[in-house]
Amino acid sequence: MDLKEFEADNSVSCRLASSVPDICKTEACCLGIDEAGRGPVLGPMVYGICFCPVSKKDDLKELKLADSKTLTEAQREELFIKLDEAKSFVGWALQVLSPNTISTSMLQRSKYNLNAISHDAAIGLVQFALDSGVHLKEVFVDTVGPAEKYQDKLSQRFPGVEVTVRPKADSLFPIVSAASICAKVARDHAVKGWNFPEQMGDVDADYGSGYPNDPKTKAWMLKYLDQVFGYPQFVRFSWSTAQTLLDSKAVAVHWDDDEEDGEKAAARQNNTSMLSFFKAGSKTSGPQGNTHQPHRFFTERRLQSLDTL
Amino acid sequence: MSSNCSVTTLQLDSIGQTEPATVHLLPCEIEHDGPAEVSRFFTATIKDRKHEKTVSFRGRGLKGQEVSCPQGYTGLVLSEVNKPGSDQEDRTVKVSSVFHNLTYWNLETPPNSDDGIVMAMAWPDLAEAIHGPLDD
Repeated sequence: MDLKEFEADNSVSCRLASSVPDICKTEACCLGIDEAGRGPVLGPMVYGICFCPVSKKDDLKELKLADSKTLTEAQREELFIKLDEAKSFVGWALQVLSPNTISTSMLQRSKYNLNAISHDAAIGLVQFALDSGVHLKEVFVDTVGPAEKYQDKLSQRFPGVEVTVRPKADSLFPIVSAASICAKVARDHAVKGWNFPEQMGDVDADYGSGYPNDPKTKAWMLKYLDQVFGYPQFVRFSWSTAQTLLDSKAVAVHWDDDEEDGEKAAARQNNTSMLSFFKAGSKTSGPQGNTHQPHRFFTERRLQSLDTL
Repeated sequence: MSSNCSVTTLQLDSIGQTEPATVHLLPCEIEHDGPAEVSRFFTATIKDRKHEKTVSFRGRGLKGQEVSCPQGYTGLVLSEVNKPGSDQEDRTVKVSSVFHNLTYWNLETPPNSDDGIVMAMAWPDLAEAIHGPLDD
Protein backbone atom coordinates (compact mmCIF):
# COMPACT_ATOMS: atom_id res chain seq x y z
CA MET A 1 0.00 0.00 0.00
CA ASP A 2 1.37 3.34 -1.02
CA LEU A 3 1.07 5.94 1.74
CA LYS A 4 3.39 8.52 0.16
CA GLU A 5 0.65 11.07 -0.19
CA PHE A 6 -0.11 10.93 3.53
CA GLU A 7 3.53 10.76 4.51
CA ALA A 8 4.24 13.95 2.56
CA ASP A 9 2.25 15.79 5.23
CA ASN A 10 1.19 13.61 8.13
CA SER A 11 -0.23 16.54 10.10
CA VAL A 12 -3.44 16.63 8.05
CA SER A 13 -6.14 14.28 6.88
CA CYS A 14 -5.58 12.50 3.58
CA ARG A 15 -7.65 10.43 1.15
CA LEU A 16 -6.14 7.47 -0.64
CA ALA A 17 -8.01 5.40 -3.18
CA SER A 18 -7.70 2.61 -5.70
CA SER A 19 -9.01 3.15 -9.18
CA VAL A 20 -12.73 2.43 -9.60
CA PRO A 21 -13.35 -0.82 -11.55
CA ASP A 22 -15.49 -0.17 -14.63
CA ILE A 23 -17.92 -2.88 -13.62
CA CYS A 24 -18.71 -0.94 -10.40
CA LYS A 25 -20.04 1.94 -12.49
CA THR A 26 -22.56 -0.18 -14.35
CA GLU A 27 -23.58 -2.90 -11.93
CA ALA A 28 -25.29 -2.40 -8.58
CA CYS A 29 -22.63 -2.48 -5.85
CA CYS A 30 -22.34 -3.23 -2.17
CA LEU A 31 -19.99 -1.19 -0.02
CA GLY A 32 -18.48 -1.89 3.40
CA ILE A 33 -17.21 0.68 5.91
CA ASP A 34 -14.88 0.08 8.83
CA GLU A 35 -12.23 1.87 10.83
CA ALA A 36 -8.86 1.07 12.34
CA GLY A 37 -7.04 2.75 15.17
CA ARG A 38 -9.92 4.33 17.03
CA GLY A 39 -8.63 3.57 20.53
CA PRO A 40 -4.86 4.16 20.40
CA VAL A 41 -3.31 7.32 21.80
CA LEU A 42 -0.65 7.19 19.05
CA GLY A 43 -0.91 7.55 15.31
CA PRO A 44 -3.71 8.08 12.83
CA MET A 45 -7.23 6.69 12.74
CA VAL A 46 -8.05 5.24 9.35
CA TYR A 47 -11.50 4.95 7.81
CA GLY A 48 -11.87 2.52 4.96
CA ILE A 49 -14.47 1.60 2.37
CA CYS A 50 -14.38 -1.33 0.00
CA PHE A 51 -16.90 -1.98 -2.78
CA CYS A 52 -17.75 -4.55 -5.42
CA PRO A 53 -20.76 -5.51 -7.54
CA VAL A 54 -23.49 -7.32 -5.59
CA SER A 55 -23.19 -10.12 -8.18
CA LYS A 56 -19.54 -10.64 -7.17
CA LYS A 57 -20.20 -11.19 -3.45
CA ASP A 58 -19.39 -14.89 -3.83
CA ASP A 59 -16.06 -14.16 -5.54
CA LEU A 60 -15.24 -11.95 -2.57
CA LYS A 61 -16.11 -14.79 -0.19
CA GLU A 62 -13.56 -16.96 -1.94
CA LEU A 63 -10.81 -14.60 -0.83
CA LYS A 64 -11.59 -15.86 2.70
CA LEU A 65 -11.59 -12.44 4.29
CA ALA A 66 -12.14 -12.17 8.01
CA ASP A 67 -12.33 -9.47 10.61
CA SER A 68 -8.93 -7.75 10.53
CA LYS A 69 -8.63 -7.94 14.30
CA THR A 70 -8.59 -11.76 14.23
CA LEU A 71 -5.78 -11.78 11.67
CA THR A 72 -2.05 -11.38 12.10
CA GLU A 73 -0.32 -8.47 10.45
CA ALA A 74 1.21 -10.81 7.84
CA GLN A 75 -2.20 -12.30 7.04
CA ARG A 76 -3.67 -8.84 6.59
CA GLU A 77 -0.88 -7.87 4.21
CA GLU A 78 -1.50 -11.04 2.23
CA LEU A 79 -5.24 -10.40 2.02
CA PHE A 80 -4.68 -6.82 0.98
CA ILE A 81 -2.54 -8.07 -1.92
CA LYS A 82 -5.35 -10.44 -2.86
CA LEU A 83 -7.81 -7.54 -2.81
CA ASP A 84 -5.47 -5.57 -4.99
CA GLU A 85 -5.28 -8.49 -7.41
CA ALA A 86 -9.08 -8.48 -7.57
CA LYS A 87 -9.06 -4.89 -8.77
CA SER A 88 -11.10 -5.78 -11.84
CA PHE A 89 -14.14 -5.85 -9.56
CA VAL A 90 -13.04 -4.58 -6.11
CA GLY A 91 -12.27 -0.96 -5.28
CA TRP A 92 -11.33 0.75 -2.02
CA ALA A 93 -10.78 4.19 -0.55
CA LEU A 94 -9.34 5.39 2.73
CA GLN A 95 -9.50 8.49 4.86
CA VAL A 96 -6.39 8.76 7.00
CA LEU A 97 -7.10 11.07 9.93
CA SER A 98 -3.78 12.21 11.33
CA PRO A 99 -3.32 12.30 15.10
CA ASN A 100 -2.85 16.05 14.76
CA THR A 101 -6.24 16.35 13.04
CA ILE A 102 -7.80 14.28 15.82
CA SER A 103 -6.18 16.39 18.58
CA THR A 104 -7.00 19.78 17.08
CA SER A 105 -10.58 18.73 16.20
CA MET A 106 -11.38 17.28 19.59
CA LEU A 107 -9.73 20.20 21.41
CA GLN A 108 -11.34 22.82 19.16
CA ARG A 109 -13.18 25.75 20.75
CA SER A 110 -16.44 24.31 19.48
CA LYS A 111 -15.86 20.69 20.40
CA TYR A 112 -15.87 18.15 17.58
CA ASN A 113 -16.01 14.72 19.18
CA LEU A 114 -14.65 11.45 17.90
CA ASN A 115 -18.07 10.05 16.99
CA ALA A 116 -18.86 13.07 14.86
CA ILE A 117 -15.39 12.91 13.26
CA SER A 118 -15.96 9.21 12.52
CA HIS A 119 -19.41 9.72 11.05
CA ASP A 120 -18.19 12.55 8.86
CA ALA A 121 -15.26 10.45 7.63
CA ALA A 122 -17.60 7.59 6.74
CA ILE A 123 -20.09 9.89 5.03
CA GLY A 124 -17.27 11.58 3.13
CA LEU A 125 -16.03 8.25 1.82
CA VAL A 126 -19.48 7.06 0.68
CA GLN A 127 -19.97 10.40 -1.06
CA PHE A 128 -16.55 9.97 -2.67
CA ALA A 129 -17.60 6.56 -4.02
CA LEU A 130 -20.81 8.06 -5.43
CA ASP A 131 -18.90 10.98 -6.94
CA SER A 132 -16.48 8.52 -8.54
CA GLY A 133 -19.41 6.90 -10.31
CA VAL A 134 -19.87 3.79 -8.17
CA HIS A 135 -23.40 2.47 -8.63
CA LEU A 136 -24.26 2.03 -4.95
CA LYS A 137 -27.09 -0.17 -3.79
CA GLU A 138 -26.12 -1.50 -0.36
CA VAL A 139 -23.92 -0.10 2.38
CA PHE A 140 -22.77 -2.14 5.37
CA VAL A 141 -21.21 -0.41 8.34
CA ASP A 142 -19.47 -1.62 11.45
CA THR A 143 -20.26 0.52 14.44
CA VAL A 144 -19.40 1.21 17.99
CA GLY A 145 -22.22 2.91 19.83
CA PRO A 146 -25.91 2.90 18.99
CA ALA A 147 -26.42 1.32 15.55
CA GLU A 148 -29.98 2.45 14.94
CA LYS A 149 -29.34 6.19 15.16
CA TYR A 150 -26.34 5.92 12.90
CA GLN A 151 -28.30 3.84 10.41
CA ASP A 152 -31.04 6.51 10.31
CA LYS A 153 -28.44 9.23 9.82
CA LEU A 154 -26.80 7.42 6.90
CA SER A 155 -30.11 6.39 5.29
CA GLN A 156 -31.27 9.97 5.35
CA ARG A 157 -27.99 11.22 3.98
CA PHE A 158 -27.99 8.70 1.12
CA PRO A 159 -31.56 8.15 -0.05
CA GLY A 160 -31.91 5.22 -2.43
CA VAL A 161 -29.08 3.30 -0.75
CA GLU A 162 -29.90 0.44 1.57
CA VAL A 163 -27.90 1.01 4.76
CA THR A 164 -27.19 -1.69 7.33
CA VAL A 165 -25.35 -0.64 10.48
CA ARG A 166 -24.40 -3.55 12.67
CA PRO A 167 -21.99 -4.09 15.56
CA LYS A 168 -19.33 -6.63 14.54
CA ALA A 169 -20.25 -6.13 10.87
CA ASP A 170 -16.61 -6.81 10.04
CA SER A 171 -17.08 -10.48 10.92
CA LEU A 172 -20.55 -10.75 9.36
CA PHE A 173 -20.11 -9.21 5.90
CA PRO A 174 -17.07 -9.96 3.72
CA ILE A 175 -17.20 -6.50 2.13
CA VAL A 176 -16.84 -4.94 5.61
CA SER A 177 -13.98 -7.36 6.41
CA ALA A 178 -12.34 -6.14 3.21
CA ALA A 179 -12.76 -2.51 4.29
CA SER A 180 -11.37 -3.32 7.74
CA ILE A 181 -8.32 -5.00 6.20
CA CYS A 182 -7.59 -1.98 3.99
CA ALA A 183 -7.95 0.38 6.94
CA LYS A 184 -5.85 -1.72 9.28
CA VAL A 185 -3.05 -2.23 6.75
CA ALA A 186 -2.89 1.53 6.19
CA ARG A 187 -2.85 2.19 9.93
CA ASP A 188 -0.06 -0.39 10.47
CA HIS A 189 2.05 1.12 7.70
CA ALA A 190 1.46 4.68 8.86
CA VAL A 191 2.46 3.90 12.44
CA LYS A 192 5.46 1.79 11.52
CA GLY A 193 6.88 4.25 9.06
CA TRP A 194 5.92 7.38 11.00
CA ASN A 195 8.03 10.22 9.81
CA PHE A 196 8.38 12.63 12.72
CA PRO A 197 8.26 16.19 11.38
CA GLU A 198 9.80 17.25 14.67
CA GLN A 199 13.56 17.15 14.78
CA MET A 200 13.59 14.16 17.06
CA GLY A 201 16.75 12.46 15.84
CA ASP A 202 16.57 8.70 16.05
CA VAL A 203 13.22 7.99 17.62
CA ASP A 204 12.76 4.80 19.52
CA ALA A 205 10.16 3.00 17.38
CA ASP A 206 9.27 0.59 20.14
CA TYR A 207 5.98 2.26 21.02
CA GLY A 208 4.00 -0.94 21.29
CA SER A 209 0.41 -1.13 20.07
CA GLY A 210 -0.32 2.51 20.74
CA TYR A 211 -3.10 1.58 23.12
CA PRO A 212 -3.01 3.54 26.38
CA ASN A 213 -2.89 0.39 28.51
CA ASP A 214 0.14 -1.04 26.67
CA PRO A 215 3.16 -0.68 29.01
CA LYS A 216 5.45 -0.05 26.00
CA THR A 217 3.22 2.77 24.82
CA LYS A 218 3.20 4.27 28.29
CA ALA A 219 6.98 4.02 28.63
CA TRP A 220 7.44 5.67 25.23
CA MET A 221 5.13 8.51 26.19
CA LEU A 222 7.12 9.15 29.34
CA LYS A 223 10.40 9.04 27.47
CA TYR A 224 9.38 11.56 24.80
CA LEU A 225 7.48 14.00 26.98
CA ASP A 226 8.73 17.56 26.63
CA GLN A 227 7.86 19.81 29.51
CA VAL A 228 6.90 22.75 27.28
CA PHE A 229 5.63 21.27 24.01
CA GLY A 230 4.28 18.06 25.46
CA TYR A 231 4.55 15.60 22.62
CA PRO A 232 5.31 15.27 18.95
CA GLN A 233 2.21 15.37 16.72
CA PHE A 234 2.24 11.57 16.61
CA VAL A 235 0.43 11.63 19.97
CA ARG A 236 -3.27 12.39 20.30
CA PHE A 237 -3.26 15.21 22.84
CA SER A 238 -7.01 14.85 23.30
CA TRP A 239 -6.65 11.40 24.89
CA SER A 240 -6.97 11.39 28.66
CA THR A 241 -3.77 9.33 28.90
CA ALA A 242 -1.84 12.16 27.25
CA GLN A 243 -3.64 14.86 29.24
CA THR A 244 -2.98 13.12 32.56
CA LEU A 245 0.72 12.74 31.83
CA LEU A 246 0.97 16.39 30.77
CA ASP A 247 -0.90 17.56 33.85
CA SER A 248 1.61 15.84 36.12
CA LYS A 249 4.91 16.11 34.19
CA ALA A 250 4.72 19.17 31.95
CA VAL A 251 4.39 22.87 32.72
CA ALA A 252 0.87 24.24 32.89
CA VAL A 253 -0.56 26.03 29.86
CA HIS A 254 -3.64 28.25 30.09
CA TRP A 255 -5.87 29.22 27.18
CA ASP A 256 -8.47 31.96 27.19
CA ASP A 257 -11.24 29.41 26.63
CA ASP A 258 -10.19 27.14 29.49
CA GLU A 259 -13.04 26.13 31.69
CA GLU A 260 -11.50 27.49 34.82
CA ASP A 261 -12.91 28.98 37.95
CA GLY A 262 -13.38 32.68 37.21
CA GLU A 263 -11.88 33.96 40.45
CA LYS A 264 -8.87 31.67 40.22
CA ALA A 265 -8.22 32.67 36.64
CA ALA A 266 -8.43 36.33 37.55
CA ALA A 267 -6.03 35.88 40.44
CA ARG A 268 -3.59 34.12 38.17
CA GLN A 269 -3.77 36.88 35.62
CA ASN A 270 -3.30 39.36 38.39
CA ASN A 271 -6.65 40.86 37.63
CA THR A 272 -9.20 41.85 40.16
CA SER A 273 -12.06 39.48 40.57
CA MET A 274 -15.50 41.00 40.83
CA LEU A 275 -15.91 39.27 44.20
CA SER A 276 -12.97 41.08 45.77
CA PHE A 277 -14.98 44.31 45.70
CA PHE A 278 -17.20 42.86 48.38
CA LYS A 279 -14.43 41.75 50.70
CA ALA A 280 -14.05 43.59 54.00
CA GLY A 281 -11.03 45.87 54.12
CA SER A 282 -10.43 45.60 50.43
CA LYS A 283 -7.78 48.01 49.31
CA THR A 284 -9.08 48.20 45.79
CA SER A 285 -9.82 51.75 44.93
CA GLY A 286 -13.30 52.31 43.68
CA PRO A 287 -14.35 54.67 40.94
CA GLN A 288 -13.47 57.60 43.26
CA GLY A 289 -9.88 56.39 43.71
CA ASN A 290 -7.14 58.09 41.85
CA THR A 291 -5.81 55.07 39.98
CA HIS A 292 -5.47 56.10 36.41
CA GLN A 293 -7.51 53.96 34.06
CA PRO A 294 -5.91 53.75 30.63
CA HIS A 295 -8.13 54.44 27.67
CA ARG A 296 -9.83 51.55 25.87
CA PHE A 297 -7.46 52.21 22.95
CA PHE A 298 -4.59 50.92 25.07
CA THR A 299 -6.33 48.07 26.84
CA GLU A 300 -7.64 46.67 23.54
CA ARG A 301 -4.12 46.64 22.17
CA ARG A 302 -2.67 45.47 25.44
CA LEU A 303 -0.38 48.46 25.53
CA GLN A 304 0.94 49.47 28.92
CA SER A 305 3.27 52.11 30.20
CA LEU A 306 6.15 50.48 31.97
CA ASP A 307 7.84 52.00 34.99
CA THR A 308 9.49 48.80 36.06
CA LEU A 309 10.54 45.59 34.39
CA MET B 1 6.05 52.22 41.80
CA SER B 2 6.42 53.71 45.24
CA SER B 3 7.16 50.33 46.83
CA ASN B 4 10.05 49.71 44.47
CA CYS B 5 12.95 52.14 44.88
CA SER B 6 15.50 49.96 43.11
CA VAL B 7 17.15 51.09 39.90
CA THR B 8 17.11 48.94 36.80
CA THR B 9 20.08 49.34 34.51
CA LEU B 10 19.83 48.27 30.92
CA GLN B 11 23.14 47.31 29.35
CA LEU B 12 22.65 48.46 25.79
CA ASP B 13 26.23 47.72 24.78
CA SER B 14 25.32 44.03 24.75
CA ILE B 15 23.25 44.62 21.58
CA GLY B 16 26.27 44.26 19.34
CA GLN B 17 26.98 40.73 20.51
CA THR B 18 23.51 39.33 19.91
CA GLU B 19 22.06 37.22 17.16
CA PRO B 20 18.66 38.23 15.80
CA ALA B 21 16.00 36.05 17.41
CA THR B 22 12.96 34.35 15.93
CA VAL B 23 10.04 35.33 18.11
CA HIS B 24 6.65 33.63 18.36
CA LEU B 25 3.75 35.06 20.31
CA LEU B 26 1.34 32.34 21.40
CA PRO B 27 -2.30 32.85 22.41
CA CYS B 28 -1.86 31.13 25.74
CA GLU B 29 0.01 31.46 28.98
CA ILE B 30 2.79 28.96 29.50
CA GLU B 31 3.95 28.64 33.08
CA HIS B 32 7.57 28.43 32.09
CA ASP B 33 10.37 30.95 31.97
CA GLY B 34 13.46 29.50 30.39
CA PRO B 35 14.82 27.68 27.40
CA ALA B 36 12.48 25.53 25.28
CA GLU B 37 12.93 23.20 22.31
CA VAL B 38 11.28 25.65 19.93
CA SER B 39 13.02 24.60 16.73
CA ARG B 40 12.67 20.91 17.43
CA PHE B 41 8.95 20.84 18.22
CA PHE B 42 7.50 24.07 16.92
CA THR B 43 9.38 25.62 14.02
CA ALA B 44 9.88 22.23 12.38
CA THR B 45 6.12 21.62 12.25
CA ILE B 46 4.94 25.01 10.95
CA LYS B 47 3.07 24.67 7.67
CA ASP B 48 3.23 27.71 5.41
CA ARG B 49 0.90 27.50 2.47
CA LYS B 50 -1.48 29.79 0.63
CA HIS B 51 -0.32 32.75 2.72
CA GLU B 52 -1.47 31.00 5.84
CA LYS B 53 0.78 29.66 8.53
CA THR B 54 -0.55 26.85 10.67
CA VAL B 55 0.90 24.86 13.53
CA SER B 56 -0.36 23.19 16.63
CA PHE B 57 0.68 23.59 20.23
CA ARG B 58 -0.35 21.07 22.87
CA GLY B 59 -2.86 19.65 20.42
CA ARG B 60 -4.58 22.95 19.66
CA GLY B 61 -4.65 24.42 16.18
CA LEU B 62 -3.02 27.81 15.68
CA LYS B 63 -3.04 30.18 12.73
CA GLY B 64 -0.32 32.74 12.45
CA GLN B 65 1.07 35.71 10.66
CA GLU B 66 4.24 37.73 10.72
CA VAL B 67 4.21 41.32 11.94
CA SER B 68 7.04 43.78 11.73
CA CYS B 69 8.10 46.12 14.48
CA PRO B 70 7.05 49.70 13.75
CA GLN B 71 9.53 51.60 11.66
CA GLY B 72 12.37 52.97 13.73
CA TYR B 73 11.74 50.46 16.50
CA THR B 74 13.65 47.35 17.45
CA GLY B 75 12.33 44.49 19.53
CA LEU B 76 14.51 43.52 22.47
CA VAL B 77 14.65 40.33 24.44
CA LEU B 78 16.06 41.18 27.85
CA SER B 79 17.51 38.92 30.46
CA GLU B 80 18.56 39.53 34.00
CA VAL B 81 22.31 39.50 34.62
CA ASN B 82 22.00 38.64 38.30
CA LYS B 83 18.69 37.77 39.83
CA PRO B 84 18.30 40.14 42.79
CA GLY B 85 17.41 38.64 46.14
CA SER B 86 14.77 41.22 46.92
CA ASP B 87 12.88 43.86 45.01
CA GLN B 88 14.82 46.57 46.88
CA GLU B 89 18.09 45.68 45.18
CA ASP B 90 19.22 47.30 41.97
CA ARG B 91 18.86 45.20 38.88
CA THR B 92 20.87 44.88 35.71
CA VAL B 93 19.41 43.52 32.51
CA LYS B 94 21.18 42.90 29.26
CA VAL B 95 19.91 42.51 25.74
CA SER B 96 19.99 38.82 24.96
CA SER B 97 18.65 39.20 21.44
CA VAL B 98 16.98 41.64 19.09
CA PHE B 99 14.15 41.17 16.59
CA HIS B 100 12.55 43.21 13.83
CA ASN B 101 9.55 41.04 13.25
CA LEU B 102 7.67 38.29 15.05
CA THR B 103 5.07 35.69 14.28
CA TYR B 104 1.91 35.94 16.31
CA TRP B 105 -0.52 33.05 16.55
CA ASN B 106 -4.26 33.00 17.08
CA LEU B 107 -6.16 30.05 18.48
CA GLU B 108 -7.95 28.67 15.40
CA THR B 109 -8.96 32.11 14.06
CA PRO B 110 -7.17 33.34 10.95
CA PRO B 111 -5.07 36.43 11.66
CA ASN B 112 -6.66 39.69 10.62
CA SER B 113 -6.10 43.40 10.90
CA ASP B 114 -8.31 43.65 14.01
CA ASP B 115 -5.90 41.55 16.07
CA GLY B 116 -4.55 43.45 19.08
CA ILE B 117 -0.91 43.05 18.14
CA VAL B 118 -1.45 44.38 14.60
CA MET B 119 -3.38 47.37 15.92
CA ALA B 120 -0.78 47.97 18.64
CA MET B 121 1.92 48.45 16.01
CA ALA B 122 0.06 51.56 14.81
CA TRP B 123 0.58 53.32 18.13
CA PRO B 124 4.01 54.84 17.39
CA ASP B 125 2.61 56.59 14.30
CA LEU B 126 -0.42 57.76 16.21
CA ALA B 127 1.70 58.91 19.14
CA GLU B 128 3.87 60.87 16.75
CA ALA B 129 0.78 62.51 15.26
CA ILE B 130 -0.56 63.45 18.68
CA HIS B 131 2.60 64.35 20.57
CA GLY B 132 5.15 65.15 17.88
CA PRO B 133 6.19 68.71 17.15
CA LEU B 134 4.20 70.51 14.51
CA ASP B 135 6.03 70.86 11.24
CA ASP B 136 5.07 74.34 10.36
